[in-house]
Amino acid sequence: MKYAPPFHRTNGLVPVIIALATLIVLPLIFTDTYVRHILILVFIYAILASNWDLSLGYGGVFNFAHMAFFAIGLYAYGIGAKIIGIDPWLTILLAPLASMAFAALLAAPILRLEGIYVILVTIAASQLLLKIVVSQSDITGGTSGMVLLPRLTIGDYRLTSDGRIGYYYVALLLLAASTVFLYKLERSSVGRAIKALRDNKYYAISRGVSEGATRLYTLCASAVLPGLAGAFYGSYVRVASPDVFGLSFLTITLSILLVGGVSTIWGPIIAAFAITVFAELLGEYGAWRDIIVACVIIGVVVIYPGGLFAGIQELWDALDSRKAALIALWRRRFQAGRRSELMGGPDRMVETSHGRIAVFDNGNSGQALLFIHGNSACKEAFFRQVAAFGDRYRIVAFDLPGHGVSENGNPRTDYNYEAYARVAAEIVEKLSLGTPIVFGWSLGGYVALEYAAAGNPTRALAICGTSPLGTFPDDMPLGYIASPHMELAGKRFFSWYEKRIYAAKTVPAEDAQAQLVRHAVWRTDGRAREQVVARMKTVDWPRQIRLMKEGTVPFAMINGPEDPFINHDYCAGFPYGNIWRGKTQNIAGGGHAPFLAAAAAFNAAFAEFLAEFETLKPATQSELATPD
Amino acid sequence: MAIDTFIFVLISGIVLGGLYALMAVGLSVVWTTLDVFNFAHGAFVALGAYVAWQISQSAPGPAGFALAAALSVAFMFAFGFCLHFGIIKPFERSPNIVLLAVITTLAASSIIENGIQLVWGPREKQIDPNIDMRVDFGGVAIAGIDLLSLAVALLALAGLAVFLRRSATGRAMRAAAQNREAAELMGFNVAFLFAIAFGIAAATAALAGVFIGSLRFINPSFGADPLMKSLIVVIFGGVAQFTSPIYAAFIIGIVEAFSIYFLGLYWAPAVLFALMIAVLMIKPEGLFGNRQKTL
Repeated sequence: MKYAPPFHRTNGLVPVIIALATLIVLPLIFTDTYVRHILILVFIYAILASNWDLSLGYGGVFNFAHMAFFAIGLYAYGIGAKIIGIDPWLTILLAPLASMAFAALLAAPILRLEGIYVILVTIAASQLLLKIVVSQSDITGGTSGMVLLPRLTIGDYRLTSDGRIGYYYVALLLLAASTVFLYKLERSSVGRAIKALRDNKYYAISRGVSEGATRLYTLCASAVLPGLAGAFYGSYVRVASPDVFGLSFLTITLSILLVGGVSTIWGPIIAAFAITVFAELLGEYGAWRDIIVACVIIGVVVIYPGGLFAGIQELWDALDSRKAALIALWRRRFQAGRRSELMGGPDRMVETSHGRIAVFDNGNSGQALLFIHGNSACKEAFFRQVAAFGDRYRIVAFDLPGHGVSENGNPRTDYNYEAYARVAAEIVEKLSLGTPIVFGWSLGGYVALEYAAAGNPTRALAICGTSPLGTFPDDMPLGYIASPHMELAGKRFFSWYEKRIYAAKTVPAEDAQAQLVRHAVWRTDGRAREQVVARMKTVDWPRQIRLMKEGTVPFAMINGPEDPFINHDYCAGFPYGNIWRGKTQNIAGGGHAPFLAAAAAFNAAFAEFLAEFETLKPATQSELATPD
Repeated sequence: MAIDTFIFVLISGIVLGGLYALMAVGLSVVWTTLDVFNFAHGAFVALGAYVAWQISQSAPGPAGFALAAALSVAFMFAFGFCLHFGIIKPFERSPNIVLLAVITTLAASSIIENGIQLVWGPREKQIDPNIDMRVDFGGVAIAGIDLLSLAVALLALAGLAVFLRRSATGRAMRAAAQNREAAELMGFNVAFLFAIAFGIAAATAALAGVFIGSLRFINPSFGADPLMKSLIVVIFGGVAQFTSPIYAAFIIGIVEAFSIYFLGLYWAPAVLFALMIAVLMIKPEGLFGNRQKTL
């Protein structure tokens, strides 16, 4: 199942709204005609480059006749509006038909071609078109072009009046329409077919994607908006000249696309602004301007082959983790009161080999219980167990690296199950917990299993919301029900909406006391989610499977029957080990977090579990190694 | 069509073909070795012509013309050699090299073109070869510079063929073109060989530029037309063999000469482009090509 949230629920929403609002307000601030003129050109370049990306980036079809689509729109406007005398607005709407027709013709010769040959044929085709346009000088004006094309009016209002404000908004509207079109297309089945053909042609064909038809769609779809933009450009500058076929126009547009970043919608749009504004700032230097712009383009492409958008994303990545670390610092310093109120005592920082870890310890002298929380949660998730068992047991809970108020770790070494299990082991050792009973929730369940399987002192083990594996890797997909939530578990960046639903699905939203736990997701280092899922395969699962199969450590599975993520049939049939009471224990009303949502029933069951095993002689290292 | 007209058109076609061969061979050497299409090739032609013009200004006479041509070729070889490290080398291992090289060579072309404009100004210039001799050929008078350009083109191409087939460096280049990894494992410095290929391309382009500059007027952006012509030639002939664009160049030259005669200047390029598209649709690897590239 592919997780593809609608646009208004992604991280892109806020920047796009800000950018759009800025562009709407901008001409009201800059009343200068020149600034508006430059922005209109920027919009046209952005439309051209981002639509070119459809064939060049997403489709991998190196179509260098893209400028011809624009030129056809331009000449179609000239011929339609001036010579035939169709209404200018109608001509603009009809112009894409002409460019699409050319695109359809173009699809035929490049059908069998690959890579650089496509570049050459398409260049040749656009040059051929140029020669035809120039040769028909009675209609097209030959090399000097067509002049005095009709301008756009609404009633008697000329779009050029009031400092071209009308043209500005029409251009902005075109850019917005183009972007929506590309965004929708990229996510449609046609868009997926286009990308599939680029990524693995033969696999795509064998899965029923028609190469010819898809190339035809790609070219036609990428011709619509350039045709429209060309006609609009004709109505704006009122000249149709064959310069638009030239290499320099192509070079600028291609630079915008490559500097922005291929296979992105936003990259070319951002680069259109960056390059055009940069070139305009250099406006006085004549030939030097073109040289400097060309050098900058080479520089950007050499240093950032992924383009500006890749650079922006890297910056965003760095900021996101930094932000998470800052929130952690803030909460550690200033929200200690809230945490200790909930847990009935303060937490402290413990130095481990995977960074400084926040640990809660009630300091009691009884049997130690070690609680390990789940993905994007925090140690406060267990506050109801601290309250219920705190007087009889020594309760220790800690925030995993990158979670809660612990420090962020190194994504390469600290965000994986083995590292989490080592953190647990080090805490057990540093706090002298002896042989604890370990409870792990969800992701923490695997950490607990890994902890025990690695031979660390464990009197007993309880897991919750976790599907242990019976065989590897077959049980990986069996243990869970495929849902968008599972995609989120390993997703690095959460939008505001995703943070909310992720927290609400694991911790009941109506539980006011658990607010701190729901808020933990806002602080979690996205890299922790990404890495722990990406590194699943490196875990020594067979060791965990042996542990359960041989039954040397008693363990319980306690789930909520309404848990939306785990496959209950799988858990019910889980065949291995001396599972406590022979099967999975279900706590009615528990959901994914029965210890929170149905605390009373859970605590009752957990108390029985503890009572049964707290006096048990712990399995020794040698017993674990040689079960017979 | 009278016989002397026919001979005249044929000979001008062959002369044109010699120039096209000179222009296209550089493009095909770069393409076969580096697997990129060099859009700066037209700018190389222009820069070579301007350098030769500059030298011929201070060195008059046919000897001066020869000196100008030689120095321009030497300069352009060094220029191409160095440029490779700036605009192609950084992407050697990139899966996107085809596209990235397109934009860097286009940018390089823009830099060269604007650089020419800064140094020599936008006004048109012509190199004076000081060769006024005319040769009578079957009742048709052929300009000496035409014959010279054809002879030099053929000599240069033959020299290049000897270099590629007989010299150690030339063979190493062909090895690198055929199988880059294997050539590297054999201990060849492939980056150096590729730079030489780029240098050779620039040098042959300069030679073509010198003759174009002495046949017609040059301006900073005149390289676009030779680029398009070389492109047609290379596609038409295919790049499998180093020699195939050379045959194609003569065919294209003759076809162009006749279509100019029969259809006029405007339609001749359209005929060539249409011919090229037809070739690509029917035999994408070119008339003389096969799927294997061998330089």
